[in-house]
Amino acid sequence: MGVLTQEAAEEAPFGFHQVHVEADGFRIRVLEKGAGEPLVFFHTARGIRLTPAHARLAETRRVIALEAPGFGRSPVNGRTRDMAELARTMMAAVDALSLPSFDLMGHSFGAKLALWAAIQKPDAVRTLILVAPSAIRPETWTLPVVQEGVEPEIGAKQAALFARLIGPPVDEALERRMGEITCPVLALFGTRDELIPTSFARRYRELMPKATIVFVYDAGHSITEDRPQATASLIEDFLQEPGGFLVSRTSGALSD
Amino acid sequence: MKASLFVPCTYRGPAEAPGWPSPAQAYSPAAAGETFRAAIDQCRLADEVGFDWVTVAEHHFSPFCITPNPMVLAGALTQAVKRAKIALLGADIPILNPIRVAEEFAMLDAMSGGRVVAGMLRGTPNEYITYNINPAESRGRFEEALQLIRMAWTEPEPFGWQGRYYQYKTISIWPRPVQAPHPPIYMSGSSPESGEFAARNRVGLGFAVTTLPLASKASRHYRNEAEKAGWSPTGDQIIYRVTCHVADTDEQALEDLNAASAAARNASLSLALTRRTDEVIAGAGYYGRDEAQKGRVALAFSGDLKSRIENGQILVGSPETVAEQIRHIHAETGAGVLDLIPGPPHGDKALKSIELIGTRLMPLVRELN
Repeated sequence: MGVLTQEAAEEAPFGFHQVHVEADGFRIRVLEKGAGEPLVFFHTARGIRLTPAHARLAETRRVIALEAPGFGRSPVNGRTRDMAELARTMMAAVDALSLPSFDLMGHSFGAKLALWAAIQKPDAVRTLILVAPSAIRPETWTLPVVQEGVEPEIGAKQAALFARLIGPPVDEALERRMGEITCPVLALFGTRDELIPTSFARRYRELMPKATIVFVYDAGHSITEDRPQATASLIEDFLQEPGGFLVSRTSGALSD
Repeated sequence: MKASLFVPCTYRGPAEAPGWPSPAQAYSPAAAGETFRAAIDQCRLADEVGFDWVTVAEHHFSPFCITPNPMVLAGALTQAVKRAKIALLGADIPILNPIRVAEEFAMLDAMSGGRVVAGMLRGTPNEYITYNINPAESRGRFEEALQLIRMAWTEPEPFGWQGRYYQYKTISIWPRPVQAPHPPIYMSGSSPESGEFAARNRVGLGFAVTTLPLASKASRHYRNEAEKAGWSPTGDQIIYRVTCHVADTDEQALEDLNAASAAARNASLSLALTRRTDEVIAGAGYYGRDEAQKGRVALAFSGDLKSRIENGQILVGSPETVAEQIRHIHAETGAGVLDLIPGPPHGDKALKSIELIGTRLMPLVRELN
């Protein structure tokens, strides 16, 4: 069990406030906003980047973004050996926040982490939302990934950590276990994503037959940045009733 | 060079008031039935005499063309036409449900054993009034619908679509297209924006209601843009639609055409809107950035016969004469498919022309590509 340290409010975008949590020997930064059902967010290889999508989701729920050790301004992480281990660290941090059950959303690198987390803690993860997941990648992916918009020093540190942890393009150890995930899964893919082709979506359905795949039109790999409102409204819909997600509740009727 | 027979299905009953939409006070069910019977007969003949394709189109609320859903006529053609491809030029996808369009094309491909050509158009400006769609959204809807239809044809697992104009929670169409990965797609390519989109998305291009200089310019633009995108369109990927009448001799062809023109004039059928309505639609950015597009329709129907032939607006004469006219169009546009509108639209002269095009004209130009 970690220790939560509340500190003087530090500036974070969209009115998120920052705390740190001690877990698994790491001091982990947490950005949080909103009240209601908790929605935990695992970031991409570029670190936590809050978008209007996160801000909108925080209007109806408690959004909690955790920074993986070694990302952002945290010290170099030379200890964590692989994604499964990093997922255990992240879940220890969530535990320290006293969240027995929550919705879990991961973007790209964070989506692979979220898959491991859902496998490790099936009772804690209520639903899983994978945004442009990079758990299965084309063989042509070159590392390190672009760290666009990130301070060069932090970018180099994050790229090196990502390259060390992400694992092979086809990760048999993970794929063998994805079938164990029984919670509702929503996986989003951008139609303009140059890193993960839309055709990769079908592999997630093969491994998790109940997963719901949605293509977000005109979005690249940064789905939440490219189409924040479209992404947030889709996730709101899904979270409102994961089992009844397919039914439209939008009325096209003209009012009186 | 390939030939397609375009059957516009212009209503064969008494003429009504010109303009759009057309009132139906004098509508004759028998005349409409005859229109469809004749169109299917023409397509059957075209198939027998060697046409490569037959074409149907979509227009609404007018006797100008009574196939508001060309998929229905195409369904009949899958059974009447045994060999030729069946082209829909097109489905006006921005005003339709794209999933329905994907399903209908797939059905036709299944019913025809893989002979469907999938034209996807923005349609004439009046179509936006038909289904109450904002014409300013025409291009955005078109581009999204085309990608969504392609995805619906090719994605084997059920998927949702969070678009700008279209949202679906789950899609998994049945039947699937026969052609792999999907039926060939064509779009209308008169404006520079269209040519650029077609080039980026590797789809074919069609020219209609145009002049040879305009089509030549647009075709060059398309091919240049395709080169930038790393591919080269084949002749088969460029369609040129033109009115055509062939008889045994030039004199006979001209005589037939003049007689037919006199009959057609009394019908005065058109899709023309009031000037005010057209201005509103033009103001919504419908025509794209090439201003010449706006006057294109008027241009395409003006001029004497000689200049219209030179401008690639009509093909008329003996098989040998028309072969020359076709070589000119091919040289200017690189088109490898001619979508031919029968000059006299129906009757024996039209049937004779279809037969001559198939048996005597096409062998003269077949090698062009």
